[in-house]
Amino acid sequence: MAAVSYKPYFSAGLKEWIFTTDHKKIGIMYGVTSLLFFLIAGLSALAIRMELYQPGLQYMSEDAYNQALTVHGVLMQFWWAVGIWSSFGNYLLPLMIGARDVAFPRLNALSYWLFFAASVLALLTFLPGSQIRMMWTGYPPFSLNDNAGPVAFYALIIHLLGASSLAGAVNLVVTNLTMRAPGVTMKKMNLFLHSFLAMNVIQILGVPALAGAVTMLLMDKYFQTAFFDPARGGDPLLYQNLFWFYSHPVVYVMILPAFGVISEIIATFSRRELFGRTSMIVAIWGIAILGFMVWVHHMFTSGMPDWIRILFSYTTVLIGVPTGIKIFNWIFTLYKGSIRFTTPMLYTLSAIFMFLIGGLTGIPLGLPAFDIAVHDSHFVVAHFHYVLGMALTLAAFGGFHYWYPKFTGRMYSELWAKIALVLIMIGSNLFYFLQFIVGLEGMPRRYADYPAIDSWVRLHELQTIGAMILGAGVAIAVMNLLLSTKLGKKAEENPWQSPSLEWLVPSPPPPHNFDKTPHMPEDWDPYNYEWLEKQHKRQ
Amino acid sequence: MAQHEVHHLGEHEYSYWPLPVGLSVLLLPISFIALMVWQKPMLALVFGGVSLVLLLLGTVGWINEFFSKGHEEGLGLPAMMFFIVSEVVIFGTMFVGFYMARVSQAEVWSQWVPKGMNLTIPLILTFILWASSATIAFAEKFFEMGRNTLSALFVLLTIVLGTAFMVIHIMEWLHLWHAGFTLSSNMYGTSFYMLTGIHTSHIVVGILTMIVALYILLAGKANQHKGHTYIKAITLYWHFVDIMWLLVASSAYLIGSLA
Ligand code: HEM
Ligand SMILES: [Cu+2]
Repeated sequence: MAAVSYKPYFSAGLKEWIFTTDHKKIGIMYGVTSLLFFLIAGLSALAIRMELYQPGLQYMSEDAYNQALTVHGVLMQFWWAVGIWSSFGNYLLPLMIGARDVAFPRLNALSYWLFFAASVLALLTFLPGSQIRMMWTGYPPFSLNDNAGPVAFYALIIHLLGASSLAGAVNLVVTNLTMRAPGVTMKKMNLFLHSFLAMNVIQILGVPALAGAVTMLLMDKYFQTAFFDPARGGDPLLYQNLFWFYSHPVVYVMILPAFGVISEIIATFSRRELFGRTSMIVAIWGIAILGFMVWVHHMFTSGMPDWIRILFSYTTVLIGVPTGIKIFNWIFTLYKGSIRFTTPMLYTLSAIFMFLIGGLTGIPLGLPAFDIAVHDSHFVVAHFHYVLGMALTLAAFGGFHYWYPKFTGRMYSELWAKIALVLIMIGSNLFYFLQFIVGLEGMPRRYADYPAIDSWVRLHELQTIGAMILGAGVAIAVMNLLLSTKLGKKAEENPWQSPSLEWLVPSPPPPHNFDKTPHMPEDWDPYNYEWLEKQHKRQ
Repeated sequence: MAQHEVHHLGEHEYSYWPLPVGLSVLLLPISFIALMVWQKPMLALVFGGVSLVLLLLGTVGWINEFFSKGHEEGLGLPAMMFFIVSEVVIFGTMFVGFYMARVSQAEVWSQWVPKGMNLTIPLILTFILWASSATIAFAEKFFEMGRNTLSALFVLLTIVLGTAFMVIHIMEWLHLWHAGFTLSSNMYGTSFYMLTGIHTSHIVVGILTMIVALYILLAGKANQHKGHTYIKAITLYWHFVDIMWLLVASSAYLIGSLA
């Protein structure tokens, strides 16, 4: 491409970072913050697993255990599973639509600084007297109890994150809808973009519900309002309803972008347009809409008339349909594709495999008859660690590797990336599959201790070993990504040969992305690989 | 590396203002925590003060930059629409709280209604807000016709009406509060003050946006090419606040005090 090249991000000075409104730098700032908190949350998970290695209390007090669990849950949900997609979305969305930046670059910077503010607040909860122990769900009445720690931290962290997500979501939706380059029609949008559109719409509708719920917590604790006090006409179920009205859809905020990444990678490495592209888009929106109609499946044991449980059981099972459509489409895309088993592809296939296990265990959880028996047991924990912990993380790491040459202009070490994946898959399956079993045997979640039943002890020991292997795998993957920014060999401009717009600019892209607004021709499509070949021949 | 390194702080790639605004928003909750959790009022005051200064600095700089650099793309309007959608959900959570209690506590509810509660004040407030919806619509019309001074006059009128609304509303609150109907009395008190309080906080934001509008209209920063979207967006926001008032008032006052 052009003769000028650009200083890599890493040599930019502090001033260039903190005052930047460049969506790519902001994306990287999101990514670094998100990864940092992912690692903190991961360490607290290992602490939890150490405590559970044996029955009895070895390393932690019950309070410390509750704190570790809260830190783990909150950071993983909000910083990793939600936050990491802000990174991908910011970096890639404007590139994919052929825009120079997002619609509101300054607002975009502010979104990051709000995310940063929430991060500072989260770190302050490590101060003595400020620890929070109300779990990521923050249910009253426990969260209003002094044992749970100051709920102000929990509520205000969520306010800051909410403001950040909301501004970010509005920004990206408007960008996507109004700033697409000529030729990048709605029909030709990458599936990544469709996923992010749906995900951000969910954020716009859902975040305020959670913000309202935690505002009520804040008011109840510090201003003695009556929201959750039955003696004065309040109702703790109000919190549960509002919380899950957002927090079920939020699982799709987390997994839809993962689906988007998976779709991009599957298409590129099968070298064909995704099978059933239209049905994919319909499925994305089906999931987004249905996602708002299932929240009560988290409350089947909270006390409610049967007809409500039956209704929400139906909607829950129904949401398996669009989810299944997506999985079938990926598999059909592979069929007769010219598959390349590159590192990102291997991460992605692993993600699909893990999602399948997590999704298939979600369906029975949606049936009250089964759920009442296993609710709040380790079975549920295993379910969401398959979908959220593993499928999402593997997809995100797949994305890291896939776009690594784009972000950094270099390649990672193939060998270490694959070693990491093998460790991750062995560790996580050992860990989480046994978690299903111990859950079915009745191990309740959120307890620091358990009875010394032989089989339980063995299951917990093996789980902890699995967790250590998983932790080692993740650590290797992250180290590889970090070190390769310096040690990796220079990447080709378009190493995967994808015609998607982000690959048609230099890596890393110049600050303004495109010298001229690209006009994409009729026969271009992000998945039209022949078009790219024709371009090469012409040159 | 390369022959020439092009990595200056290009015009559209940096801005000094998001950072101070972000930091001010960080210090606000910390100030609250210092007061309520750490019980250090002096610390809270310092944080709160610094936060306010940063906020002022950041927003003024931001607004100035916004109206002097770059060109109008009109994207603010769809953004405002999406933002309003999420605002509706925020109000929705409080409505859910109110109606859940209203239905489930129907038997005891009548004991919760304070004596001083009547429908005269909300009626007056409603008329004031309706009038302000009209004045802001005129302001927008005159701006479109290029008559900025007249437009500014109507913005000013809207600000006056909004402020009147606030003052009367606060007097009404004080009156009810002294009659023993407080935020913590019961779910009626809680949801009454939360609904009307959140609504009034929107009035405050609306008035602040209109003060900015007044400034850009009078300083000549608003014309055919600039500030158009801003005026349109805040008009939209104000109409939303007005419509929301109808729902808030009919719930908090009307349905709330029907025994
Ligand atoms: C086929 C789709 C899915 C179905 C039918 C489903 C169903 C369920 C049900 C019924 C529960 C409640 C179990 C209980 O608490 O007793 C649950 C919990 C959970 N699910 Fe799923 N799920 C699905 C997919 C997902 C996905 C894709 C994610 C995230 C990416 C996810 C994350 C979670 C989480 C985090 C919880 C536990 C929340 C908590 O109590 O802390 N699920 N799921
Ligand atoms: Cu759910």
